[in-house]
Amino acid sequence: MREHGFSRAAYRLLLRLYPRGFRERFARDLEADFLEMARTRGPAFAWRRALADVVRAVPLTASDAAGERARTARIGGPIAPPGDPFMRSLLFDVRHAVRALLKAPAFTIVTILTLALGIGANSAVFSLVNAVLLRPLGFADPERLMFVYEAIPESGVALFDVSPPDYLDLVQYQRSFSAIGAHRTRMMELSGSGQPEQIDAAEITSSLFGVLGVGAAQGRVFLAGEDQQESDVAIISHGLWRRRFDGREALGAAIVLDRKPYTIVGIMPAGFEFPRRGAASNATPAEVWLPLVFTPFEKQARSMMYNHSVIGRLRDGMSPAQAAADTAALARRIQDNYPAAIRNAFTLVIGTKMLTDELSGQVRRPLMILLGAVGLVLLVTCANVANLILSRSVARQRDIGVRAALGAGRLRLFQVLLGEALLLAACGGALGLALGYWGLKTIPAVLTTSLPGIGDVVLDWRVVAFTSALSLGSAIVFALVPLVAGMRRNLHDLLREGSARATGGRRQHRLQSGLVVTSVAFAFILLVLAGLFIRSFRNLVSVESGVGATNVLSLQVRLPFAAYNEGPRIRWFYRALEEQLRTLPGVRAVSIASDLPLEPDGERRAFTPENSATEGLQQTTAVTWVHGDFFGTYGIPIFTGRAFSSDEQRENRDVAIVSKRLASSYWPGGNPLGKRLKWGLPMSTAPWLTVVGVAGDVVEGPPGSDPLIHVYVPYTNVPDAGLAHPLAGLWRRLVIGVHGNQDALTFAGSARAMIAALDPALAISDVRTIAQLERDRSAPQRFSAMVISGFGAGALLLASIGLYGVLAFSVSQRTREIAVRLALGAPRGDVLRLTVREGMTLVAIGLVIGAIGAAAATRLLRATLFETSVYDPLTFATVPLLLGFVALAASCLPARRAAAVDPIIALRMD
Amino acid sequence: MSPAPLTPAVFHILLALAEGPLHGYAIMQAVEESAGLAMGPGTIYGTLERLEACGFVRELPSAARADRRRTFTLQPAGRAALQDEARRLARLAALVRAKRLIPRES
Repeated sequence: MREHGFSRAAYRLLLRLYPRGFRERFARDLEADFLEMARTRGPAFAWRRALADVVRAVPLTASDAAGERARTARIGGPIAPPGDPFMRSLLFDVRHAVRALLKAPAFTIVTILTLALGIGANSAVFSLVNAVLLRPLGFADPERLMFVYEAIPESGVALFDVSPPDYLDLVQYQRSFSAIGAHRTRMMELSGSGQPEQIDAAEITSSLFGVLGVGAAQGRVFLAGEDQQESDVAIISHGLWRRRFDGREALGAAIVLDRKPYTIVGIMPAGFEFPRRGAASNATPAEVWLPLVFTPFEKQARSMMYNHSVIGRLRDGMSPAQAAADTAALARRIQDNYPAAIRNAFTLVIGTKMLTDELSGQVRRPLMILLGAVGLVLLVTCANVANLILSRSVARQRDIGVRAALGAGRLRLFQVLLGEALLLAACGGALGLALGYWGLKTIPAVLTTSLPGIGDVVLDWRVVAFTSALSLGSAIVFALVPLVAGMRRNLHDLLREGSARATGGRRQHRLQSGLVVTSVAFAFILLVLAGLFIRSFRNLVSVESGVGATNVLSLQVRLPFAAYNEGPRIRWFYRALEEQLRTLPGVRAVSIASDLPLEPDGERRAFTPENSATEGLQQTTAVTWVHGDFFGTYGIPIFTGRAFSSDEQRENRDVAIVSKRLASSYWPGGNPLGKRLKWGLPMSTAPWLTVVGVAGDVVEGPPGSDPLIHVYVPYTNVPDAGLAHPLAGLWRRLVIGVHGNQDALTFAGSARAMIAALDPALAISDVRTIAQLERDRSAPQRFSAMVISGFGAGALLLASIGLYGVLAFSVSQRTREIAVRLALGAPRGDVLRLTVREGMTLVAIGLVIGAIGAAAATRLLRATLFETSVYDPLTFATVPLLLGFVALAASCLPARRAAAVDPIIALRMD
Repeated sequence: MSPAPLTPAVFHILLALAEGPLHGYAIMQAVEESAGLAMGPGTIYGTLERLEACGFVRELPSAARADRRRTFTLQPAGRAALQDEARRLARLAALVRAKRLIPRES
């Protein structure tokens, strides 16, 4: 239906070519006829007919209008058509070009498609790179901004964010930065008017927007004192303002977050995004910003809460290296402020990183590979277009010769050829731009979370300019090729020779052969890249995630403190919800947990196993609090022992289930059942938890990474006071899992209704199935493999078209020779073999060059591939076979034509 | 003296209208069928406009139109031109046969 609408709009544009008087009279009928034609005989037919029609009818109607004017003015005699001579000749050229191109539809279609593929792939990938690597971050002088991290080498985690007291020390001690600020992100419930929803929020120090050098579009940013004591001010994003306030006056208005009212003091400009995606942590763009106010507890939380991202702006004249050294030197001073008991238990390190590196570092390499691949596609495209044009120029040489003989000037000839080339380039460019636009639209949504700044990739003017320059440049080159080739040759010869011998000769053949060899070599490299990416992707997805059940509906709620400030109330909620969900028909298992398996955002805690040599082992573990049948819901096997009993879910029995990896690393050889562990360092006074079961390992984080060691405990292990503590956001986020016999998504409606029945104001978020989650997790790799394979297939197609073109050209050039051979008694099989051999020789040379190039190029991929050798024998064996086979098919067509030459006809032709 | 020959487009359009008034799309289909000539509606309307100026055809008033399309009918001058052309073609065909340029159809 939309296609129809588009077709109609495009046809209306076409109608504008007719003189106005004619258009006013017949436009409606023309449109109706076009639509009828499209309906009854297909849109392709309708368009072909319409385009040919315009070429014929426009001059007809134009001179008719002129004749009409002449009649009404009662002037006899011949009348010149209207318009200035240049425009007339341009119109004539375009008409001529349309006719000439329509007469050679195969050439036209192949050339336009080739150009479109090259230009489309280029503009899409260029836009992507532009958005991620080149586009400014929207901060003032971003290259003067640095992230500050902390690290404890003993923890086994490379870098983490900064704890509140350490940040306060940094503010006091540091001299490298003119200003420094901190932020942390969280989800908040936005309620009040409208559907309650979970939104991303960031708590920021008052200094932070100053550090970034950004200001509010309306209102103001936070004042210096607003992060010193409890305050109720908020800044909202442009998007949230449009969505919740419909663009109405919002400054001073109230907004309810986690059931607490805030006053809006500022609205940020459209397009402002902070935190930026791509950072290692706290990297979800916020829709609301609140002052980061440290509680007295947080100000004292040494060795805890390392979750504050810190950004500083370099002082004038301070180099990044100097700042890094100065900041690192502060570590000892800060560690001396830690309590005596833990001061010397570990080493504190402070690191820095350029903000620009951090934000694009993880994606730079894949994007560069993509850019390299698209560069190869462009080269193949150029080689091919040049090839096509060269073949065609042979046909045009006679035409040009005739025109020149009749007195056409070089400029005029160039104009004619330019008209044709411009038309080709315009069609190719427009189609390519559409292709690029469509390509950007189909980039899977999941990439928006893994690539910084990709959410708003659009084809911007630079890309359009780039593409236009590309098509225009190619147009002019194309126009020159036949002209130069035609002019160089002696006109007299050209006209005297028979058409079959009006060829470009040996030089041109060599040039075209070189282009074919180049295309084959580039196609080889691209196909090897594609093969390696596919292998790597298959290896990646074949790795077990540890979660056996995929037909599981998962959704999340967050219980806001204002309404859930007592332990029993929270327990009532999760128990009631679990019981009700279990009653749904078709449900097999239900669980409620503090995080979702496969997602790396769960809690990490320091722990101490009893009677274990922890030398050289990390002291932190992932921990998940669970209620209901957690292991049954997600299909995580229990290898030894048992799952939690209903008694243990009713009241605290100090029990835990550990992952297989934890058990085998900390209690190797022995039976882990009955072993004990506790939270915190060895001196902690936390109670011992007894291991009652060993569960399978789960890969959390990117697929292919090592599973974390993991401890599971029942919610009952958390005392009421802890559960309801205002800072304990951890236990307020409930991840609900429903495993059923039918498609898990069908439970979504009933689950929503049950939650709404318990608390209508609760916002539900992240509704999806484990199957979707698993697909999304490998989407970036799938995307790379798909795109590169697409490029490889395109290059293969182009290379074989090029090969076909050259052989067909060569056969037509040698028709006489072949005819003579046949007349003298050469078997047709020999002629066939001769042509195929000519093609396969070119392919063989291309394959050898391509193999060398591929071996060199793939080394750059080593870090990107997962358990795949860059010299993967299967890939390197399959690609030449595939290429060879396709090339053989491409050379068989012209070879058969050569073998089918009828000597009598061929020799009589001259 | 016999009038100047008609162009194929004009001849076939007039021929299509000889059987009765038609709208543009129907003329296009008729021409395609009778002559194997692929003509777009733009060419048809452009030619009709010229023929109208010569008084060969006339557009029917809107009340007489089927499905609100512009419908054209042959005028006496148009019919005369068509007959002249048909006679000219018949003479040509006879001439061609008399000179035995084409084998006798059988």
